[in-house]
Parts: sequence; C-alpha cells; structure tokens
Amino acid sequence: MNQLIEKLGGIEAIGIFSICLFVAVFTASMILAFCLKKPFLKAMGKLPLEEEQAPDKTSESNPL
Amino acid sequence: MRESEFMMKAAAPNTENKQPQGLAGAVEGFKYDNRIVRAFAIATVVWGVIGMSAGLLCALQLFYPNANFEFQFVTFGRLRPVHTNAVVFAFVGNGMFMGIYYSVQRLCKARMFSDKLSWVNFWGWNGIIVAAAITLPLGFTTSKEYAELEWPIKIVLAIIWVAFTINLLGTLVKRREKHIYVAIWFYISTALTVAILHIVNGLEVPVSFWKGYSIYAGVQDALVQWWYGHNAVAFFLTTPYLGLMYYYLPKAANRPIFSYRLSIIHFWALIFIYIWAGPHHLLYTALPDWAQSLGMVFSVMLVAPSWGGMLNGLLTLRGAWDKVRQDPVLKFMVGAVTAYGMATLEGPALAIKTVNSLSHYTDWTIAHVHTAALGWNGLLTFSVLYWLFPRLYRTQLWSTKLANTHFWIALLGMMFYVIPMYIAGITEGMMWKQFSTDGFLQYPNFLQIVLQIVPFYRLRAIGGTIYIIGVWLMAYNLWRTARAGQFAPEEEAQAVSYRSQPVAQGEEAFNHRWLESKPILLTGLALVAVLIGGMIEIIPMIVIKENVKTIPSVKPYTALELMGRDIYIREGCLACHSQMIRPFRSETERYGEYSKAGEFVYDHPFLWGSKRIGPDLQRIGAKYPDAWHYNHLDDPRSTSPGSIMPRYSWLLTQELDITSLPARISAMRRVGVPYPAGYESKAAADLKQQAGKIVENLQVGQIKTQPDREIIAVIAYLQRLGTDIKLEPKATAEAGSGLHASN
Repeated sequence: MNQLIEKLGGIEAIGIFSICLFVAVFTASMILAFCLKKPFLKAMGKLPLEEEQAPDKTSESNPL
Repeated sequence: MRESEFMMKAAAPNTENKQPQGLAGAVEGFKYDNRIVRAFAIATVVWGVIGMSAGLLCALQLFYPNANFEFQFVTFGRLRPVHTNAVVFAFVGNGMFMGIYYSVQRLCKARMFSDKLSWVNFWGWNGIIVAAAITLPLGFTTSKEYAELEWPIKIVLAIIWVAFTINLLGTLVKRREKHIYVAIWFYISTALTVAILHIVNGLEVPVSFWKGYSIYAGVQDALVQWWYGHNAVAFFLTTPYLGLMYYYLPKAANRPIFSYRLSIIHFWALIFIYIWAGPHHLLYTALPDWAQSLGMVFSVMLVAPSWGGMLNGLLTLRGAWDKVRQDPVLKFMVGAVTAYGMATLEGPALAIKTVNSLSHYTDWTIAHVHTAALGWNGLLTFSVLYWLFPRLYRTQLWSTKLANTHFWIALLGMMFYVIPMYIAGITEGMMWKQFSTDGFLQYPNFLQIVLQIVPFYRLRAIGGTIYIIGVWLMAYNLWRTARAGQFAPEEEAQAVSYRSQPVAQGEEAFNHRWLESKPILLTGLALVAVLIGGMIEIIPMIVIKENVKTIPSVKPYTALELMGRDIYIREGCLACHSQMIRPFRSETERYGEYSKAGEFVYDHPFLWGSKRIGPDLQRIGAKYPDAWHYNHLDDPRSTSPGSIMPRYSWLLTQELDITSLPARISAMRRVGVPYPAGYESKAAADLKQQAGKIVENLQVGQIKTQPDREIIAVIAYLQRLGTDIKLEPKATAEAGSGLHASN
C-alpha cells in the first residue's frame, strides 16, 4: 500500500488542498452568518411560526 | 362538515385570486394543496409497516433460516434489499415528500408550482417502489447497496426526481416570501445531490431489459458506489430531515429556531463535508490509502456541523421542556434529534481506521445504522405525522395517550434492537481477531463465532417486533383521527408578494440575506459545494492508473463463471459474504492472501460486500471440492452443522438460461473486459465444456446432476474466486483464449 502511495503523484497536495478548501468554505459561511443583522435573523427565525400563534417573549431567536 | 366546504370559492386548483389593494402591497389570495400532503402521509404509514415487516422477516431468518419457507423470492439475500429500499425510499422517501410539500408551500406562501408535477411525483415514486417490491424478490438487482434497482427503473426514478426538483424550484420562483428559510436550503441540496449521485452511480451498459453491468469495475466501482451509498444516507436520510426539523420543531414547540446564524454555518459546512466521507466505508480495503485518509478525515470533521444542527434543534426547546412531558409530538422530536446526535457522534468514531478495523463487517454497523434509522428518521417521521394529521383533518389527535404510549414502545423497541446488535458487533469483531497464546486463531471456524451471535439476533427480532407494534398503534391512532375530523383538501391563505414591496436597506449588498432571496444562485452554490468533494475523490481514482496496479495473471471470467456470478448477484449472496480480505493477520490467517486492487479489474460490478454474516469468500476458490459446494448449497447444515445460511435447493433444479450469454459477453466487452473478438459465438461451447468437467467432479463425490443446472455455474464461479493471483505467469501466458477456468 505504501509503495502505491509513493507512486501516486501529488497525493499530499490532494489532502492539503481539500482541507484548505474546507477552511475557506467554513470561514466564508462564518463571515456571511455573522454579518447578518439581528432583526433579519429574528424575522427569519420566526418565519415558520407566522401562521401559528405568536411566540411569547421568552422565545426569541438567540442572536448567537 | 363536507369536504367541499373547506375549498375556496375559486374551483381551479392553481387559480390564484389577485386582489389589488394599492401599489405598495397587493394582497393575494391562494390555496395550499393538502391533498398531495395527505397522499404522501398515507403512503408513509403503509410503506412503513411493509418495509419494517420485511426487515422483521429478514431478522427471523438469521436465527431460523427456514423462515424463508424455502421460497426463493423471500430468502434473505433477496429480501434484504426489499427491506432497505422499502424503509429508505418508501417510508422515509414518502415521509420526506409529505413534510416538504406541506412546509414549502407555507414557507414560500405559495401553492406548489404544478399540481400535475406533484401527482407525477406521488404516483411515479410509489410506482417505482411497487416495481422494486416486485423486481428485487425476482432477483433483478444490480447488487449495489441502496441502488439495487435495474436500469429501466433507474431511468424512471431519475425522471420522477427531475419532476420533483422542477416542482420545488418552480415553487421557489413563484414564491411570495422573499427570503428562503433554512429548511428549504436543505431541500434544495437534497434535490440536487440525489440526482447527481443517482445518475453517476447508476451508469450501466444494458444486457437486457432487466440486466445491466456497471460501467465501473472493482476499486473504481467501490468508490463510486460508497460515494453514492454514504451520500444516500447524507442527502436522502439526513438533509431533508434536517429541513423538516428546522420547520416542524419550531412549529411544534411554538418557538423560533434557537439560532438562525448557526443554521447557516450548519448548512454550508454539512453539505460541503458530507460528500467527501464515502470512502470511510472502504477502510483497509484495496482502495488507495489517500482516498481512505480523505474519507476518514472528513468523516471526523462531520461531527462539528452535525452537532451544531443537533444543538440548534434541542436548544430550540429551551424554556419549553415542560411541554415535552405532555406533548407526544415534541417527545418524538426530542428522541429523533437525540438519536441524530448519537449517530453523528458514533459515525465519525467508526470512520477512524483503528475503530473501523474492529467494527467493519460486524453487527456494530447494523446497530449504528438502526440508531439513526429507527431513531432519527423513524421518530421524526412519526412526530410529523402526529403533528400533521390533526391539521389536515381539522381536529384533535384522537388519543394523545396512545401517541405517548407509542413513543415509549418505540424507544423500548429501539433499545431491544440496538443494544444486542452493539454487543454482537463487538463480540464478533473481537472473536475474529482473537489469537491463542500459541499464535493461532482462537476461533478458526467462522461458525463458532456465528453461533455466539445467534442469541442476539433473537433479541433483535424482539426489538423489531416491539417497534412495529408501535407503528401499528400510530396507524390506528391516525386512522381514528382522520375519521373524527374532516379533511381539508385545500387551505385558504393570503399574502403580500415581496415583489410588490419596496427593497429594504442593505438588501442589495452581497451578503447571506441577499443570497437567501436568490434561489437559483443559492442552488448553484449548493451544487458547487456538493460537487467539489466527489470530483476530487472520484476523478483521480479513475484517471490515475497507478491507483489500480494490474496483475498479469488476472483474467476475465469464463462464460460459465460469468453466469454463476450473475446468479450470485441475483441471490444477493453479498448481503452475507464479503469478498475483500483486509491486510490484517487475523484475516490472512483465516482467509488467505489479502485482496489486491488489481484482482477486481473485471468485476462489473464489484462484490466486496459490507457485512460478514458468513465468512469472506475472496479466496474460497479451490478450497473445497465441487461436491462440498453442491452439498453446502443444497443444505448448508449438512456440511456446516448449526449454519444459519438458507438452503438454495432451487439452484439444483433450475435450468441455466444461456440465451442471454452472448449479450452478457458483449456488454462486458463494452465496459472494458477484454473478451476476444467473436467470443460470443464460442461462449456457449466453452460453458458446456466447463460445466461437463464440474459434473464429472461431482460424480466422484457420488452426486449425479445435469450440466445445465444453475448450481453448476455457481460452483464454477465460487471455485474461481481469488485463484488468479496464485497462478504462475508462465501458465497464464499459455491460456489460449485469454480466459482460464478453475476446473
């Protein structure tokens, strides 16, 4: 198996590239999520509840 | 109240009444379609009972082999895919559509894009399931797990899935709510990814209307299949159900989701990572190590987004836990989300190579899968059904007490199922690897280990029975609820379209808020996210030839062996027998030389299997005489007392149909197997010659049979397995036709 890996060119690059790609996607999603304003987050959180009884004060979406 | 009284005055289903009320906000009246939701809900319950009952019959056969009534069509190997397809695609599939069709309309404030497509989706999907329930017991199967349906059904499935996708995206286009809620992102990722997985993994060259050969071979086929198989779990059993969680949990708890921000990170991280994790099903196999490592690393990373989603679900209930005590819907949801958390912690743990070396091929995997299936998918489906039925029928649930009872019964059933399976899995994993102080295998006879596991199989069947009793109670409760109420086929609603609203400040800037108002762009980005992982893993595997080191002595199967292999596939032998010896001393001592990638280059499809209820068969060739195989297949307990393998007596009597042999050879050549030109016309003669030799061998063992029986082909195939690499290069060079037979 090790012999096989040695012959496979660029194997390290595939792993490193993959992890870097994930870090980029994860960072981008974090930035996009944390740039959102609280009123929008609250409004979106309540979207499924619009046809139901209004939630009480303790049930506001957590602006994490 | 009559059904029609619930209908809006406007009779045409898709007619929407616009009521202009000024330039800023025209209130539009429209109707939600509940008929399609009810149809999928009923199908969910019906298929749930059928699929789980098929599973129970499978479970019974594992300690009482005669529970197949010696009827080939319900024997374990053929029935197992019926069970898996019925619970995955029929029960969960219909449950998914039920939840999606209800929630998408309300989240978009619009009726579905097309009623016709909705019904094409319903009848097409359920027609496919009926086709599966007929063809799989008949032995029409590709053998690829969760992708067993043969090519004509696969094509229909692709068309139906496209109809669903168009209906979903069309509804998004005509929506009145500007921003697309997180639940719908998960639905979009499901629609896109399942289509890609299904098409890429399903590529076959047809032999006949009910038979095809995978275009991939061996290692490549294994990688593509488990890229598909794992992501069937990810994008069929997980992402749509996460969407349901994000919609129905807040509804049931009457609280917004704990953190919408967390849901954004959850979504993008989850769909990006999930697609890479497939190779963890192939650890320590002949798959190149780089692909195994990628699969392992990304599987471990999956814990983070999965638990983010789980915590987001459970924390939604903060301040509402008192409701959980009373409300069966919330009880089921908490159970489901907790099971999701447990399964998504255990899954990455099982993907660590050292853990996997113990767990793979054992019942540990079965326990893991059923924690997720019975817990996450089962309990969440039940919760949505209990929540939906009273709303669809405008009444209260007939019996909350009975629903609460169902919850505890379901939980008890799960415990009785998974705990014995965990014990069985760890027991067999350790017994397989146990060496004596003298350095020999402690349990060299595989059957010794199987007999230790049988009591746990009995307990598992009890657990399954308890769980199914719960489903029957639910069916009765829902039926009484429906009888007590009055179905509302359409639900009147009004909304102001976002198109008539002024653009809010900051709306046009590029941020996630803007993205949530662009369904096509969101779809495109989700597509890119799920494509990347698959491409990085699969393309190098196919393009870089060094991934599969060729072995000169490995030759294509003879005509008789090919026919035998197809019978092996028909009977679903790989449900119990792997053909992949991992490079562990415990395995090479028990089975022989570990498996090499180059041994499978003519295997269309690969038959490595994923479970060892019986021993690995990779090196079974030439291990026993032909007569042993004949007697073993006729009555396994005659050669292996206590064996739980079913009898395959029909193989002794059924005539081998070789009319399709030329088509099979031709199709194999088209997928890359180097049969000599014109071999189609010589194949039948070769087959008869080899069959004659096996009949002669059997006569030595006092067995009289005819050369044209199916069992002869199966014996030929089994005797060939794993023997190629034992041949001297000199001998292989002398093989005239490029083929060599074991007999």
